[in-house]
Amino acid sequence: MKGEILPPLWATVHVQAGERRPAKVRSGFASGRATDQKAWRFAIRLWLPLFLLWLLLLPLLILALPILFIAAIIFGIRFWKSLSAVFGLLAGSRGTEVEVENPGARIFVKLH
Amino acid sequence: MNDNRRQILDMLAGNKITAAEAERLLNAVECDPAGAGAKMKYLRVLVDTNDPLDGPTKVNVRVPMQLLRAGVKLTGVIPTRARDEVNAALRKEGIAFDINNVTPQNLEEMIEQLRDLSVDVDNENTKVRVYCE
Repeated sequence: MKGEILPPLWATVHVQAGERRPAKVRSGFASGRATDQKAWRFAIRLWLPLFLLWLLLLPLLILALPILFIAAIIFGIRFWKSLSAVFGLLAGSRGTEVEVENPGARIFVKLH
Repeated sequence: MNDNRRQILDMLAGNKITAAEAERLLNAVECDPAGAGAKMKYLRVLVDTNDPLDGPTKVNVRVPMQLLRAGVKLTGVIPTRARDEVNAALRKEGIAFDINNVTPQNLEEMIEQLRDLSVDVDNENTKVRVYCE
């Protein structure tokens, strides 16, 4: 249940780029033998602490709440329900994974 | 008692299977993760395309069901006037759907129907697969 009410707290991003080249087996028995393992010329793994972003945005949200409340009244939108729905969207995005791979690059993003 | 258990016990009562076989079948039924009680957690979209210019490309997206639920709940905050406009636009396109019917009560039923969803598109250069897991 805990995982369903909190927004994503961090994200992992893997970016691999450059033409794929055949990797070499590191075993002493078969040194130099090319395999089909994926090896990229450039690879980076990022761990993004999204909770810091939420902490930064929280004061801004509190400041913006009165303005949003007035706007919601003017446009006939149910304010608290909208706020709850937006928070639900954020919380629901936990576990999202996107992976795109082509011969030139591979990008993987996961929200935790 | 569910249908599978009753069927196994009926077979045992009718001497069609032995007690050991019945036990094994009951264990298999209880451990079946794909049973009706299993809750779907993700919508999976797989795209495998082979473009003559860009080469082969694979896309693998996993969308949590919770995100779909939250997205559908957003329809509840659409102002009444906008809902009427959306309904009118849908009717104009020949889609007999009223977004006022999207309520939390029938949302779970709608998502439950996705259990049987499986979309497979297969042509010369592209394969697309959408399913729930």
